[in-house]
Amino acid sequence: MEIVKNIILAAFTSVIIENTIFSRALGTSTLILVAKSRKNLFGFGMSVTYITAVVSVITYFIKDFFSLDGEAYIYVPLVYILILGLVYILTLLCLWRFAPPLFLKIRKYVHISAFNCAVLGAMFIISKYCVTFTDYLVNGIGIGLGFVLAVYMTAVVYDKIYSEKAPYAFRGYPLLMIYLGILGMAFWGFSGHMINY
Amino acid sequence: MEKDIVKENSCKTIIFNALLKKNPMLASGMVIAPVIMTVDSLPRALTLAAAFSLITFFTLLISSFVPKSIVYTVRIIMYAIIGAMVYVPASIALEYFIPEQIERMGIFFPLLIINSFIIFRSESIFFLESKGKMMLDIFFCIVGYDAAVLLYGIIREIIGSGTAWETITGMPVIFSVFAEPFGGFLLLGIMAALLRVALLTIKKVKK
Repeated sequence: MEIVKNIILAAFTSVIIENTIFSRALGTSTLILVAKSRKNLFGFGMSVTYITAVVSVITYFIKDFFSLDGEAYIYVPLVYILILGLVYILTLLCLWRFAPPLFLKIRKYVHISAFNCAVLGAMFIISKYCVTFTDYLVNGIGIGLGFVLAVYMTAVVYDKIYSEKAPYAFRGYPLLMIYLGILGMAFWGFSGHMINY
Repeated sequence: MEKDIVKENSCKTIIFNALLKKNPMLASGMVIAPVIMTVDSLPRALTLAAAFSLITFFTLLISSFVPKSIVYTVRIIMYAIIGAMVYVPASIALEYFIPEQIERMGIFFPLLIINSFIIFRSESIFFLESKGKMMLDIFFCIVGYDAAVLLYGIIREIIGSGTAWETITGMPVIFSVFAEPFGGFLLLGIMAALLRVALLTIKKVKK
């Protein structure tokens, strides 16, 4: 029971309280790109979640050899990129061999879902704050799902943000930043803040 | 003569676009995570500008020699690996000169190795240009980004903390929300809107 409670708590934290976009702004440039195209949002979301989950698990197994607190910390990014590259290529090869229609569908955006700050950032955050294998896995999936949630929340208002009804100075990108800021403020409230009186 | 005029116009366009019209940070929304999370004062803005410039310039320069005959899937990994390799000397150099500031950047310093310039803009814009034009474009894009980061840093420091270069300014009102990540988004949105107004004014004055 305790394990289930911890898993739910870790998942809630990584998806909502420490949402990768709203609390850390990781992958905001990718979010702008993806929300703009609005094609295959589900597929994109699933591939981000899959990649963050897989790389998080691999990170767990190498954490004793390469950590940000160790002596070889300046080589950690290189190791992480190699892991990311390996997962990216193996996934594409598997899809090409066993599911060609899916391969053709996702190959246009799979590089964006693998090489972005949200995924690499997930590896750094997890290796810094997580301890057990379950922590690594749940947070890996949670960070991916948190990113997907942010992309969906942006995509649903995209037309309004870029609408001609919006004042020219704020139309598009400026309004999108303000929207993310307001959502960030709302999500910030989940972490609990007291008002002195 | 005509060629020179075209060349000059093209250079002016590149500079104008990189610094103002298509400013990477204020108009295109590139590499904004480290800005929102780490830049809350001018010294920290300078640190990000230095780290970003070093990593991005050398990574793009070396990556431009990667043959196009290599498939895109592998090329994109190579760019990221080059970024991670450039990070090693950049990290050593910056830690030697500004160790505390670099440490305060946390995970956002190594994350610069896969910034949007390297992963997205390299293939879609930079590597499609001639070498000379590409170098000019990269240089001014970096300058445009750095200038925007410094401006953002000083404004956020003054209104968010009431200091300038970490010295108290005596501001009557301090909006500490701007020091938070969501405040960073809000300030970025406001600055992007102000840039658009400024560009519109320039256009009207020219007419």
